[in-house]
Amino acid sequence: MEAIQKEHDKVWNSCKQSKTTRHVDDIIVALQKARDAIAEDPTSRQVTLAKLQNPVKTMFDGIFSGLRDTHGLHNKYTRALDKVFKDKVPSNEIDTLSSHPTLINRAIYLHLLREGLFDVASTFHSEAVEKQQSQQETATNLDLDVPMEHPLGLDKSSEANMQEQFSNMYHILSELKDNHNLQPAIDWARKNAAALEARGSNLEFELCRLHFVSLFLDRRDEDQSDFDAPMRALQYAQSEFQSFRGRYLVEIQQLMGAIPFSSNLSESPYNTRFNHSTAWEEVASSFIREFCSLLELSADSPLYVAATAGAIALPTLLKLQTIQKQKRTEWTSQNELPVETPLPPSYRFHSIFVCPVSKEQTTDQNPPMMLPCCHVIAQESLQRLSKGAKFKCPYCPIESHPREAKRVFI
Amino acid sequence: MAADLTSIKLNPDSHVLLDQPLLRLPHELVKRNFRNTQRYVERERDQILPSLKDTANAALSSSQTPEETLASLDAMIQRMQTFKRKIDKLHAEEETLHEHSAKRIRHLQELYEIPSLADVKYDDWARTRLDRLMVDYLLRSGYSKTASSLAETKQISHLIDLDTFVTCHRIASSLNRGETKDALAWIAENKNSLKKLITAPYKCTNLEFELRLQQYIELVRAGTIPKKLEARMYAQQHLTPHASSRPDAIMQAAGLLAQEPNTEAEPYRGLFAPSRWRHLSNLFIETHHTLLSLPVQPLLHAALSAGLSALKTPACHSAYNPASSSTPGHARIATNTSLCPICSMELNDLARNVPYAHHTTSFVESDPVVLPNGRIYGRERLEELQRKLAMSGLGGGEGGIHDLQIGKEGEVRDPTTGESFTWEQVKKVYIM
Ligand SMILES: [Zn+2]
Ligand SMILES: [Zn+2]
Repeated sequence: MEAIQKEHDKVWNSCKQSKTTRHVDDIIVALQKARDAIAEDPTSRQVTLAKLQNPVKTMFDGIFSGLRDTHGLHNKYTRALDKVFKDKVPSNEIDTLSSHPTLINRAIYLHLLREGLFDVASTFHSEAVEKQQSQQETATNLDLDVPMEHPLGLDKSSEANMQEQFSNMYHILSELKDNHNLQPAIDWARKNAAALEARGSNLEFELCRLHFVSLFLDRRDEDQSDFDAPMRALQYAQSEFQSFRGRYLVEIQQLMGAIPFSSNLSESPYNTRFNHSTAWEEVASSFIREFCSLLELSADSPLYVAATAGAIALPTLLKLQTIQKQKRTEWTSQNELPVETPLPPSYRFHSIFVCPVSKEQTTDQNPPMMLPCCHVIAQESLQRLSKGAKFKCPYCPIESHPREAKRVFI
Repeated sequence: MAADLTSIKLNPDSHVLLDQPLLRLPHELVKRNFRNTQRYVERERDQILPSLKDTANAALSSSQTPEETLASLDAMIQRMQTFKRKIDKLHAEEETLHEHSAKRIRHLQELYEIPSLADVKYDDWARTRLDRLMVDYLLRSGYSKTASSLAETKQISHLIDLDTFVTCHRIASSLNRGETKDALAWIAENKNSLKKLITAPYKCTNLEFELRLQQYIELVRAGTIPKKLEARMYAQQHLTPHASSRPDAIMQAAGLLAQEPNTEAEPYRGLFAPSRWRHLSNLFIETHHTLLSLPVQPLLHAALSAGLSALKTPACHSAYNPASSSTPGHARIATNTSLCPICSMELNDLARNVPYAHHTTSFVESDPVVLPNGRIYGRERLEELQRKLAMSGLGGGEGGIHDLQIGKEGEVRDPTTGESFTWEQVKKVYIM
């Protein structure tokens, strides 16, 4: 990239100092001077015109020599680009998605909603409908077929619902993050208490605890004593923590225990609970995670995760593509990629089981089977090893019959 | 752990592959600008120098009066001033392009300063990249209002090429509507640059030839005697010169004159077909993108195809994975992990036909155990879920979490199916 920058600087500088305009000016001035001289003294015109020929030609030559230099710099910059961008950007060979514009549109639309870009999302919606209408008109005029599905792949109910849900989410989030107002989030958690509890989520308590802490630390101008803020927190706890008592007793006892230490909290054992600079961010991200989970959506935008994973995997796949092109095979036509495309650990969402015998990943058609000795191999391996009769586990001395093997889900 | 270190390694040189057009396009535009400048200068020189010479000769031979000399000098001055305005405009355009390139180079440079894929700065950078990829996709699909609104909101206007794509889309749509005017004008404007796309024995691009052929087809379609005469003349001028390089097409064109527009006979039916406009529109886009070093397909397609595959596992469309949005009647589940992006509704259908990632070693949660229903999890995850459920008062002992020995007594909840078991039913399993 440094080489690119260096060459580009040269091109840009030469543009800034370009003499073309100056040469053109010079030509105009020369012509004008000659014209004025001739107008003044018409008898001088032969001499004046004769003397004008060479300078004008030289000025044009000057322009061309400048252009030649620029051309050279352009070529050098092109070479610097070629050096970094050796491979062409992958195009149709690697593209399995061209036939699904609607699905891509939908993914983008939902991504925009998810990111809280409601204006952009609604522009997209109206532009897509508009475009489809005009395409339909054109097609009718030319007597062509045109798809009639919703251009963003949405049905009416899910569309309205998604938009509403996400704008609700952003309202709650902006109250939480921008105004440190937890109430809308707490209200939401209470409304969805049953679903959250089924997930084993502690969101409501986390929110209330943070509310307690923020009351505790909120010293106001009108306060008479240092204890006013902790007392407000205590009041809150008395009214709101009742329902948590059974389950979060220790946590609540800890919070209450801090009240006597309110004047020098930082030296008390309660400091970590109260002095937590990232608490708001953490609560916000648990809220997003729980909110999306109840909508059966992943917490981070799938489009973002997939595009980023793609940028990471693409160089490997491209190398492969070049090799396969020579062999005239295409990876997009196979069930499984032929090479590993390592991703960072945060991109792992499922367990992976590779049969230790066949080295193949198990699937619904060839599922993992657990032998009575608790070793797991793929069904096809099991069939191959046992041939239907009693056989020895390849990993321990225990023998078993294939019908004793049990389908497991990894 | 060693594997994890390599998996978060950021190799910027291979990573910027997708960002190529970011620098290629403005450079192509600069080169086009340069060729235009060069052409103008040549034209002016070839005009001014001879006429200056003629004027001088005329003055010497006294075949012109002084007034006539002044008049021709005035004409030259005026001409040069018009020329200067054109040059100034091109120069200003060039400066803007360089400024864009400089900003883009700086943006790419930022990637080179990020230590690893796990760095938060990478996350920011990658989000901007997604915004760029989306804008590129939207522009190519003709959603220019959405694209500019997104670019403005995310303040990435310097990283996108609105004008180029808007122009391209305008011309492509005009072809879709059955108009050739804009496309032919574009060809004329880019005559110099298009030369590099022409390979022998052809004398013009496929696009230009096909457009000329279409104009001819339209004259024939009109069917009247004068139109057919006009068609003949048009063919003489624009098609016959290509008789040796494109003999088949020229033969067909000649045969077309004897056909009715509703003919069922091939290839004439195909030539009269309205779907030819769609073909022309696609051909235009392809030619336009190739000329400007733009990939023909949206970059988002390339990134997503690769990403969907790299993330996809056999579980993502498995009938036994209740988290997958493709599982019929997929249940709201008590899972305490985050949902896989491929299983998520947004991408599940899109990922259906891409291959899944290749793995050579198993990866399961540590200390795997199997439940009576055959589901395998890491022991810790089950204990964690039991702890949380106990805290929220569901499952586990009545007295809440503190009387309970997590992982030994009480209820085990299956995080996927929601079924309950006891810890005695949980068995250790060996994954090699
Ligand atoms: Zn065994
Ligand atoms: Zn999945």
